[in-house]
Amino acid sequence: MSQLKKERTIGQKIFRVLAGFEIAVVCFALLLLLTFFGTIEQSWIGLYQAIEKYFDIDSFLVVPRNASDKIIFFPLPGAYWVIVVLSINMFLGGIVRMRKGWRTAGVLVSHFAILFMLIAGAVSSVLKKEGMMMIYQGEKSDFAQSYHDSDIEIFAYDENGDRTQPVVISSDHLNPLQENDILSVDLPDLPFDLQLTGYLSASTMALAKNQPDLAKENRVIDGFFIHEVERSTTQEENLPGCYVTIQKEGAPVQELLLCNLNPHPISFVVDGTRYGIQMTRKIWPMPFEVELHKTVGEYYPGTRKASWFQSDVTKVTDGSREDYAIVMNEPMRHGGFTLYQARWDAPQGRPFSGFAIVNNPSDKWPEYALYVSAIALGFHFVFMLVRYSSGGGRKPKTPAS
Amino acid sequence: MRIPALLALMTVLLTSCHESERAISVTETRELTLFDLKYQANIKDLPPLEWRRIPGTENRALNYVTGPDDSVEIFMGVFGGGVLPNANRWLGQFGLDPATGLDSFTKIEILGKDGYIVEASGDLEASMGNEGAKDQGLLGFVRQSGEETITLKMVGSAIDVAAQKEAFLAYVSSLEFIDTHILETP
Repeated sequence: MSQLKKERTIGQKIFRVLAGFEIAVVCFALLLLLTFFGTIEQSWIGLYQAIEKYFDIDSFLVVPRNASDKIIFFPLPGAYWVIVVLSINMFLGGIVRMRKGWRTAGVLVSHFAILFMLIAGAVSSVLKKEGMMMIYQGEKSDFAQSYHDSDIEIFAYDENGDRTQPVVISSDHLNPLQENDILSVDLPDLPFDLQLTGYLSASTMALAKNQPDLAKENRVIDGFFIHEVERSTTQEENLPGCYVTIQKEGAPVQELLLCNLNPHPISFVVDGTRYGIQMTRKIWPMPFEVELHKTVGEYYPGTRKASWFQSDVTKVTDGSREDYAIVMNEPMRHGGFTLYQARWDAPQGRPFSGFAIVNNPSDKWPEYALYVSAIALGFHFVFMLVRYSSGGGRKPKTPAS
Repeated sequence: MRIPALLALMTVLLTSCHESERAISVTETRELTLFDLKYQANIKDLPPLEWRRIPGTENRALNYVTGPDDSVEIFMGVFGGGVLPNANRWLGQFGLDPATGLDSFTKIEILGKDGYIVEASGDLEASMGNEGAKDQGLLGFVRQSGEETITLKMVGSAIDVAAQKEAFLAYVSSLEFIDTHILETP
């Protein structure tokens, strides 16, 4: 039977390229390079910065650099977007283009599971929230704080001196700022506005009288000034600071200095109301309260590094109480929240626990994908084995005509 | 001609200092948590409107300024040393003779316990990195708290400190211990 070879349309050609092995090979090679350079670079810029630089959704182009900030390789596409391309390629090549039938069912399902795993990673990258809840023994908490991001919170004090609900200038607005930038903040719910200047992402606050020479080079407010410090490779240690001008109808009312180093609010008065303002690690209210009754741990010999720890806690939600013993690798779960102990110390005989809290909608997805993939591949191998054993895998020789 | 001009423009843009001015509008709020009920040294206060809180230091758990050009300082510290030694240290800063007993001071209730009001005026001697000054005033309290001593001290020109006396005493009476985040002992 003769068959005319059909000309491929442009759409088919594009599909052929997008679903082809060539793209998969290039993507895997790029991921290898990105992982390699990201791993090297994290040793001098720190893990957080390296993940931001190489794997963040906002990272479209990555230029690998050495410790002296010199370029050491060609610019590479960001890992997030390489994985997006790989996912499309896998969907088109490994699912759409693949022959459908019992023979390929297992492979098809396992491709789908791997794709699902990649999607889980993307969802996690965008929606995952994590923070740390620090509690001293005999105390309770109902909030966690971000490891890295700092907000500015402004609130009014009521007539009893209690804080009212704060307005939050999110770190999303602050993190991109540089020292020479000016950020005007309109606060429609408050009778004043703010202007932020001199933002430093790694700063410290000092008393002018203690460091007069350095103070001369900086703006001194209320006897204090902030100055830049060398960035730590541990992002948690980098504390931002900035200058704030409170403005009422465009006119300055008060100049203030904010630094994440200062753990308590400072105040100002507008229209006869006292307001507090502070820069603090982003606060994440929890839908439950944790009471820490007892925390015990041990250090590695000769160090202050905890080798083992355990916390006896009570989770309080809407009046119901549940007791838990949180041990290393045995977290407490509540809804989509996972709470596991990440720190323990007992400074001056006062023990505390640091609970890492993660809220990730796709937390369990990779695990499910792995089960599905394993079952699918198991089915495929058994199917092929049975088929081979029964002779179904061998094609009968076609007799010569 | 166009290409060199474009190159020159790009060079200027790329080499110029980064400076930008942006404007945002913020309405985001956060629900209240125990974070909002934690106070420095677990002491909640209600200062007068004229007092403005500024950043604290190692020795100043609470730190306020008031008066002309914010020249009057009010600050709270938690130290060791006992009531009388702390009160006498303050008197010594004004070159005054030390008191022999707590009877020399006015006793009032502060944070549920006896506290002692210390007053002094005159020329303040230089101490702890502070320059000395003439015609200064001091109004403060010292109160024992377990093994530690809580002090609240207002210093400034004698006239300004005297003008703040009523506000100071009202502030002292507003102080209260808050321990919302501490579990009740069974």
